[in-house]
Amino acid sequence: MNNVVIDINDVSFSYGNVSVLEKISLKIFEDEFIGIIGPNASGKTTLLKLILGLLEPDNGNIEKHKKDDKEMSNLIGYVPQHITFARDFPVTVREVVMMGHVSSSSRLFRFKKDEVEIAKDIMQMLEIEEIADRQVGALSGGQLQRVLIARALVCKPEILILDEPTSNVDARVEEDIFALLKNYSEHMTIIVVSHDIAFISGYVDRVACLNRTLVCHDTESISGKMIEDLYDAPVKMIHHHH
Amino acid sequence: MTEFFTALIEYSFLQHALLACLLASISCGVIGSYIVVKQISFLTGGIAHSVLAGMGIAYFYNASPILGAIIAALVSSILIGLISLRWKEHEDVLIAAFWSAGMAIGLLFLSRTPGYNIDLMSYLFGNILLISTNDLLLMLLLDLVILTTVLFFYKQFLISVFDEEFARLRGVNTEFFYILLLCLISITIVILIQLVGLILVIALLTLPAATANQYVSSLYKMFFLSALICLGVSLCGVFISFGPDLPTGSTIVLVACCTYFISVFLKRFISTA
Repeated sequence: MNNVVIDINDVSFSYGNVSVLEKISLKIFEDEFIGIIGPNASGKTTLLKLILGLLEPDNGNIEKHKKDDKEMSNLIGYVPQHITFARDFPVTVREVVMMGHVSSSSRLFRFKKDEVEIAKDIMQMLEIEEIADRQVGALSGGQLQRVLIARALVCKPEILILDEPTSNVDARVEEDIFALLKNYSEHMTIIVVSHDIAFISGYVDRVACLNRTLVCHDTESISGKMIEDLYDAPVKMIHHHH
Repeated sequence: MTEFFTALIEYSFLQHALLACLLASISCGVIGSYIVVKQISFLTGGIAHSVLAGMGIAYFYNASPILGAIIAALVSSILIGLISLRWKEHEDVLIAAFWSAGMAIGLLFLSRTPGYNIDLMSYLFGNILLISTNDLLLMLLLDLVILTTVLFFYKQFLISVFDEEFARLRGVNTEFFYILLLCLISITIVILIQLVGLILVIALLTLPAATANQYVSSLYKMFFLSALICLGVSLCGVFISFGPDLPTGSTIVLVACCTYFISVFLKRFISTA
């Protein structure tokens, strides 16, 4: 078994009196491709924010293990579900991607040569090089998603976290994005949050089902009963072949 | 027309006025861009009006009103910043409270200051023709402070304004940069007060930048374009107001408004044509 990179230990969280997560424990292993699924308002995004350190758990703890002397901010790359910015915000695709290099010690305008090179390679890989000088407000949902993935990847993270990466894109782009992630997952831990269990289970190694509490499964063993418990409604099973 | 240029050579007050336009446009273009993209013009209005408290208190104690303005602007920007970070849900009411409390405190102190002071009107509505060499030097100094800070932390400001959550993940202290931005805004307000007065400051801080925003794809380009527009608008205002002896600050603000509306209209017209 691979090393544990994220160790979530008996974590609970509530917004005021509303309990969102209860006693969540989950170990995430190196180079694993794990899907976190659950209905709307099941605490998926909250769990991600706890892992990212944007929120502090009420109880329990989350340990993150990094390999070498990497800076903590370069351990995880994060692709949010929405980003709210004005459509006419004056910033280009290239500038947004370069944001992945910014740290508390960045100064002045210029980026280092190797930082520019890395961003160029990643934009090439994600096929957004041609739109590098376009304003981000003018992009389609799929293009914006690729830009946000590129921004998360430029710091060469060990772990990539994506929140509903395909919620704003059509089915073809959705497949493209997951195929791309599958490719990356060979040498990177990837955590994907989704409400679309049917789609996601074709790609991930393991699924964590979340609805305030957590149940974990290998993708092979997802049963109709379990999904019914999770979503609290009858569902149709669609079988995938792995 | 020739009358204006003969006067320009002859009178130093007019030369001072044009230099003041130039110096004010630099910080106005840079800081105005942040105000427009971050959408905090109401908050900026709150800071601008609370400056009167500082000036009123300074008058009362016979101190320098500009010094009072700087202190009041910095204090109120830090307080308003902390409030909008901690009590987001009541932000607009709290800003409105600051806005009016600042003016009320200023007026109370002024009413207790013996003698009617003509200077007060020039701080409320600006009097660009009264700008002294010392005022110009102060404007230059404040410009330098603003430019150095913005250039030095350009990346952090951009990332914090564009996507605050991501900025935090990158280890950028977004609260610090937010408060710092508000402090820079307050310094810019003090510079602009001499030009158009604190009541009209909000127009110069938003309209040129909003005009520029329609034509640029990067923030640094917006700095340049909005500074240029600000310069054009203020020079135009001085020029127009000179002959018929109109209030300069108000003329500048109206030119800025017209430029903005014409630009919006043209942009619409071009994109639908």
